[in-house]
Amino acid sequence: MAGGSIVSNAVAKDANELQIAIIMSRQAPVTAIDSNLLRSVYLKKIFLDPTNRVYVPVNLPPDSKLRRDFTLAVIHLDEPQLQSYWNRQYFQGISPPFVLGSQTAVVDFVAKTPGAMGYVRPCYANAQVKVVLLLTVIGAPADAASEHCPSDGGH
Amino acid sequence: MSKLARGPWRRIILIGFVLAWSGPLLADAFGSMGQAQPYYLGQGLYFPQQALRVGGYADLQFHGLDNHRNALAIEDLSLFLTKDIGARWKMFGEVELGDAVTVTDHHVTTRDANIDMERFYAEYRVSNGITLRVGKFLTPVGQWNLIHADPLVWSVSRPLTTTAAFARHSTGAMMYGTVNLQNHDLDYWLFADDSQAIGFARSHDLAYGAYGATNSLKNDFIHAVGGQFLYHMMDDRLSVGASAVRYTLKDPLQQYRLIGIDFAWTGRHVEFSGEALQRTADNPTVPAEIGGFLQAVVPLPRSLYVVGRYERYRSSTQQGAVSIRSIGLNYRPVRGLFLKLERLDGSRNAALDPSGWFVSAGVIF
Repeated sequence: MAGGSIVSNAVAKDANELQIAIIMSRQAPVTAIDSNLLRSVYLKKIFLDPTNRVYVPVNLPPDSKLRRDFTLAVIHLDEPQLQSYWNRQYFQGISPPFVLGSQTAVVDFVAKTPGAMGYVRPCYANAQVKVVLLLTVIGAPADAASEHCPSDGGH
Repeated sequence: MSKLARGPWRRIILIGFVLAWSGPLLADAFGSMGQAQPYYLGQGLYFPQQALRVGGYADLQFHGLDNHRNALAIEDLSLFLTKDIGARWKMFGEVELGDAVTVTDHHVTTRDANIDMERFYAEYRVSNGITLRVGKFLTPVGQWNLIHADPLVWSVSRPLTTTAAFARHSTGAMMYGTVNLQNHDLDYWLFADDSQAIGFARSHDLAYGAYGATNSLKNDFIHAVGGQFLYHMMDDRLSVGASAVRYTLKDPLQQYRLIGIDFAWTGRHVEFSGEALQRTADNPTVPAEIGGFLQAVVPLPRSLYVVGRYERYRSSTQQGAVSIRSIGLNYRPVRGLFLKLERLDGSRNAALDPSGWFVSAGVIF
C-alpha cells in the first residue's frame, strides 16, 4: 500500500518528510492524543472525549494532497477501501467527517467549535488552536501547493 | 389494489412530524456548519439547522433467467433519514419502494410495487463502547445482511447463506459498539427481538427472495435473542466474525439455533470474503440448514473489478444441497455510481436461486 509511515512528534529533517499538525480548540479538555485515537475519531469509532463531549472531526476536500497523505498515514486505507468503509457506515446512518474547503477554514472552524478536530500543515496553526499531536510522515513529501503557508499566500 | 395504496403511510407521516418538530434542538451546536458543504454522491444532503441528513440509494436491475421471461425493474428506491437529537441521541429511518416499475415482454406494470419501512430506530450513545438501539433494524448475523444494499455489495445476486435461515429484520432492542481488545477493534452486537409483541412495521422476509425463485417460504421472527462479534486485524484489512442466535419463526412455527462465522480479507491484488452458518431446529424431525460461500474480488485497471463466488447450501425445504457459481464484473466509474454484470449458474437451484444473467445499475446518493 502506498503512503508514508508516521514518526510522531518528530521534527521533519528532510524534504522526504511531511509534518501534519492535529489541532483542537484552545478550550478543548484534551491536551494530547495518540495516532490510534486519532484514527478511531476519524473513522467515527470513538465519538466522545474524556469529558463526554462529542468529537467533531473535519476533513479537507478529497482532491487535497494533505488529505491523501493524512489518510494513508493515519487511517491506513487507500481511497477505494476508505470509500467502501464510508459507504458501509453511511448505510448504518453514520456519515464521514465534515469537509471544509481549505486549511484556513479548518483552523477557523476548529477554533470556534468545541470538540472539533482537524489536520493542517503546522504553519497554519495559530494562537486560536492547540496542537494535540504533531505527525511526521516519512516518504510522503509535500508538493509545492501544500508547502505554502498563509504568509506566502497559500490556503 | 396496489400495495402502494396500503402500507405504512401513517408511520411515515408520523416520522416526518417527529423530525420536523425536533428541528431547532441542534441548531446552536451545528450553527457554524451552516456554511455550504460541497456535495458528493454517497454522503447525503445535510441540513445543519435541523441536524438532519437525507440520502439513500436506487438501483435498476435486469433479470435474464434461463427458461424464463426477461424482466427489467426499478428494483429499489430507498430513502435514508438520519436525525441527530442532542449529542447522544439519533433517529434513523429507511423507507424503501421496491419493484416500483417492472417491464416484461413490452408489458409495464406497477403490480409488484411495495413500500416498506425497512428500518426505523432510535439510538442513545451511552459511551464510546456502548450504543443502545430500539426499533426495527437489520438482524446482525454475518456481514452481508448488515450492508445488503445493491450499491454496497459486489454482485447483483445475494447468497442463500445470507437470507434463507433467519429473518433479515428484527424489531426490539440492541446494544452494540466497538471496544479495544489487544490493540485491535472488536465490534459487537447483542440483540433481542419481540416482533410478535411489538408488531411494528413488520416485514415478511422471503427466505428465497431471488428473482424467479418459486419457494415462497417466509422467515418472520416471533422472538429472537443473539449476537455477533467481529474482530479486526491488520488495520482493518482482515476481519473475522462469529454469530449465534436462538429464535422462533412464525410460519412454520418452530424454534431454532443458529451459529455462523464470517471473514473478509483485503489484499493488494485480491479481496476474499465468506460466510457460513448452520441452523438446527428443536424438533429433530426438521432438517438442518447448512451452507456457506466464498467470494473473491480482483481489481482491474480503470475502476473495474472481477467478482467470483461459489456457494453450497443445503436447504431444509428440498433434498440435497445446491451448488451455485457466480462470475461477474463490477464497474465503479465515479464515486457513488455502480454497474454490475453477473452470470449465475447452479445445480438443483431452480426453485431457490435460479440461473441466469443479471445486470444492475445503482447509485448511492
